[in-house]
Amino acid sequence: MLYNPATPDVIEHASDLVEYFAVMPDRLWFDFGPQTATGRRFHRTLGAMDQVRRLAKGRILAGHGLGLSLPSAMPLDEAFVGAIATVAADLGGFHWFSEHLSLFITPKGSVPNAQAGLGLPVVYDEEAFAIITSKLRRLRQALGCRLLLENGSFFTPVPDMDMSEPAFLNRLYAEGYCGTLLDLHNLYVTGRNGGMTPEAYLGELDPDAVEEIHLAGGDEFAGFYMDSHSGPTPPEVWRYAFDYVPRFRRLRAITFEFQESYYERLGPTPLVAELTRMHELAACCHIVPDPSDAG
Amino acid sequence: MLVEFQQALADLTASPELCVRVRRDPSILHRNYELTEREWRRLVGIVRHPGMACACMVYRANRLAPLALNIPQTCRALGEELRAVVSEYWETFPEGNVHFFIEADRFCRFLKVKLAAGCSLPAEVAPELERESAIVADALRESLTEATPYEAPSVNSARTG
Repeated sequence: MLYNPATPDVIEHASDLVEYFAVMPDRLWFDFGPQTATGRRFHRTLGAMDQVRRLAKGRILAGHGLGLSLPSAMPLDEAFVGAIATVAADLGGFHWFSEHLSLFITPKGSVPNAQAGLGLPVVYDEEAFAIITSKLRRLRQALGCRLLLENGSFFTPVPDMDMSEPAFLNRLYAEGYCGTLLDLHNLYVTGRNGGMTPEAYLGELDPDAVEEIHLAGGDEFAGFYMDSHSGPTPPEVWRYAFDYVPRFRRLRAITFEFQESYYERLGPTPLVAELTRMHELAACCHIVPDPSDAG
Repeated sequence: MLVEFQQALADLTASPELCVRVRRDPSILHRNYELTEREWRRLVGIVRHPGMACACMVYRANRLAPLALNIPQTCRALGEELRAVVSEYWETFPEGNVHFFIEADRFCRFLKVKLAAGCSLPAEVAPELERESAIVADALRESLTEATPYEAPSVNSARTG
């Protein structure tokens, strides 16, 4: 599961079904920005960190980042990388760390953490490959663990690209930079909104690149399908999962994401059902251990 | 230049008005940004895609989230004026702040300046703003301490993927 303030309650209802726990470092601090008057940018939320530490006991813990915006044509935010490394060390280390293959930070913003407002699509070409791989090298050095990149959900495909997204992810994997965190719901969202179909995407993606999958639910709004994490995984996404996930021989984790603001309406019952079905999916997988697993 | 392409894409996503203008006259992009022909064609293709309306909508929803979460009654009191006020606010501060309390606090200050300047807004706005801005200011101060018993900073779900 991906940690949020409602996760402890879900775990209370299904402790044995949660073996892996991902935490977003961005949710364990307040970022006051590089120009803060106090001189200190990151202020941790020690209560939340204690809670994560307790929940992670006996479980695999990984980091899932949002704020690095690796595809941005700007230098890596080194202070942010340092803060992730500090959080990871405080929590006993991440087994792996994943980030998003989306543009979140505007390159001409006045401060390094200026936000684009949502994850924007990336132009997959040699320039983007060079930018992302140089940052992945640095990130690997700072965190000392395996890295994964997650496909985003987009509403506007970029025309005339040199590489498709799965080809880009395949190359990152083949050249040893990172594995893929395949968000099946993001694929579904992109396909529903006029982008590449999940079948075409999954047909092109190297199954050995995939080391983690994300499942989630969304909803319709104003004629579009949104990645709102508002409920259980849709049946179509489960179908992709059962059709394709057994081919992912290097899979480490299956993660369910939900937005805590919907938890009051959902309650634990549908989420426990999701976790149960995720275990059925995991039972269909035949994992081949990777000798380079130590990162 | 990729820097210019990415900035143009972010600017378009933040501004439905700019999208409309570019659809009418795509040469605006060449005038405002240093783009190659290929980058220009890509942006024109993106801005003409039906999904651009959705991207603009999600941008606005994500920027509204820190306000709706932290000053809900002020937003409610603004009523039909909310759209115009937040549009003006986002034009004044095109970059959102990841720290939701800073973002909400900045909006409260912006709104107070408007009220002090005599801007005509519904009567319930001022008392709600007074009450909720004090709560936000307290939360912002507390977020500096690290000693909060439990407070996981919010993130926008549509951004997380």
